[in-house]
Amino acid sequence: MRQGTRVAWRSFSQLWQGYLMPLNADAPQGGQSAMSVRWMVWPAVLFTVLLVVFPFAYTAVLSTQDFVFGQDRKFAGLDNYKRMFTDPEYANAFRLTFLFFFLSLILQLVLGTWLAFAVNRVTWFKGLIRTVLISPFMLPPVVIGMMAIVILDPSLGVANYLLGQAGIAPRLFLAHPEWAIGTFVLIDAWQQTPFVALIVLGGLQSLPGRVFEAAEVDGAYGWRRLFYITLPLLGPTLVTAAVLRSVDLLRFFDIIYITTRGGPGNASTTLNILAYNRGFEFLDIGYASAIMISISVVVLGSVLTFARLRRAVAW
Amino acid sequence: MQDVQLRSPVIRTLNGLQTFLLIVIILAPITWMVLSSFKSRVDVTRIPPAFLFTPTLDNYRELFIRSDFLHNTLNSFIVAGGSTLLGLLLAIPAAFAISWHRFTWPATVTLFARLAPGTLFLLPWFLMFSEMRLTGTHFVLILTHAVITMPVALWTLLPYFDGFPRELVESAQMDGCRSGDLLVRIVLPVIMPGVVVATILSFVFSWNYFLFALILSGNNTKTAVVASFNFIGEGVTNWGALMAAATVIALPPLILTFIIQRRLVAGLSMGAVKG
Repeated sequence: MRQGTRVAWRSFSQLWQGYLMPLNADAPQGGQSAMSVRWMVWPAVLFTVLLVVFPFAYTAVLSTQDFVFGQDRKFAGLDNYKRMFTDPEYANAFRLTFLFFFLSLILQLVLGTWLAFAVNRVTWFKGLIRTVLISPFMLPPVVIGMMAIVILDPSLGVANYLLGQAGIAPRLFLAHPEWAIGTFVLIDAWQQTPFVALIVLGGLQSLPGRVFEAAEVDGAYGWRRLFYITLPLLGPTLVTAAVLRSVDLLRFFDIIYITTRGGPGNASTTLNILAYNRGFEFLDIGYASAIMISISVVVLGSVLTFARLRRAVAW
Repeated sequence: MQDVQLRSPVIRTLNGLQTFLLIVIILAPITWMVLSSFKSRVDVTRIPPAFLFTPTLDNYRELFIRSDFLHNTLNSFIVAGGSTLLGLLLAIPAAFAISWHRFTWPATVTLFARLAPGTLFLLPWFLMFSEMRLTGTHFVLILTHAVITMPVALWTLLPYFDGFPRELVESAQMDGCRSGDLLVRIVLPVIMPGVVVATILSFVFSWNYFLFALILSGNNTKTAVVASFNFIGEGVTNWGALMAAATVIALPPLILTFIIQRRLVAGLSMGAVKG
């Protein structure tokens, strides 16, 4: 590896250690041992290279080709990328992806923190509550999509019935061009907010008690304490939750595919749906590959952004 | 963390009420799914919705006797089981080596699989595996699902390996134990709780995964999550069967969650929260 690559690589790997876990940081030093088990990583690395790194590179190559399945391949340079920037469908998908991403992220972090605070004060049924909180997260997205089809059906669904009882006019939910993305935001919030709450709860319970005692002595109570002490201390935890959620939100696919397939019209055609449709419905492999590469860049970009944020809120 | 506000019993009650409400919101859709799966064709689309009804097993009968769903469920078990095994076989030695030598790049490499959108691999895989005439086999599904399970297992196991006392390894090594034996006979038994969490998480993630099997499975190897997709689009009349399929698919993840919920929560956040 050349020097530049090596530096980039190191910063990338350090970034992840910093965030997802204190990788090996607390382990005692024991360098005198002569035993080497380095060879044990090779099967896993080889597997990843064959099934992940190589296909990734292959997609990058495909993205420079004019390749419709069943027709001749031609080298196309950056044409697919140029096409992306002038394609109104791509612009629409990009807008929808980010709309979904930001709305979901904010909603899930806010609600998750609220839920964590509420649960943190409850002293009964702790195990049971934790089990309930983790349940939606463990369910397959396919099942969530099927529940959404039945519950959110505009005419026969129970959601509209309950809204009607509360005096609210029935909604079209996923069938409404302007509400489709909003409904997906709510669906994903239902599934993932409890997971965010569990992460925040973990952070909350490991906060140093001394700080709060000192705050109490200084007369910091209620909202003041929440905004000046608790939330800033929770910063790293919240960023971690944001990273874990961002990666999944930007890849959100299953539930859309099962319920609306990107419709009505293309009201819920996010980048992932667009790439899938281009690749597997239109067999326009070159262009689909370019879209997928662009999604990967977005995911990586968001992760790197959060890495900076994480450093900023560290304490 | 002692909360000041808790000293007032009124606030304590209000907080309990608020938590209860949130729990109800979380549980309501799951309950509705299970209830609907026991409803007759008339009851399942009744307006106003039927909260009390005579339960029937018709939907499950339709699912398991009149359709191939049993076969699909079996496929799901084969794929999830196989990919969990493959993922663990790759991840356990790798996690041991990463933890022992404290080198991080292999762990980072596996993160690519966690980060990249599934559609990214799907096109090249489809082209590659079609060329090799492997699409539609259990083998290819196990192989591709291991891309999900291996990083999950690896990152779940790392903290457990890190917590293993190094002296134990070193003294065993002085007694002439080879590294392979050492891992299997000395380290693994101690970190068994971690292996259990990794196994269950891998199994559930593989069981739940939709996209790879959607493209790469054949008629004989369709997994339950992909097959259940067939019940959608058959119109409103089949909601009962749809919910029965959803319940069957949801059952293994939920049961496994109940069994190990405490450790699971710690494993899921992957030591993310260090305070």
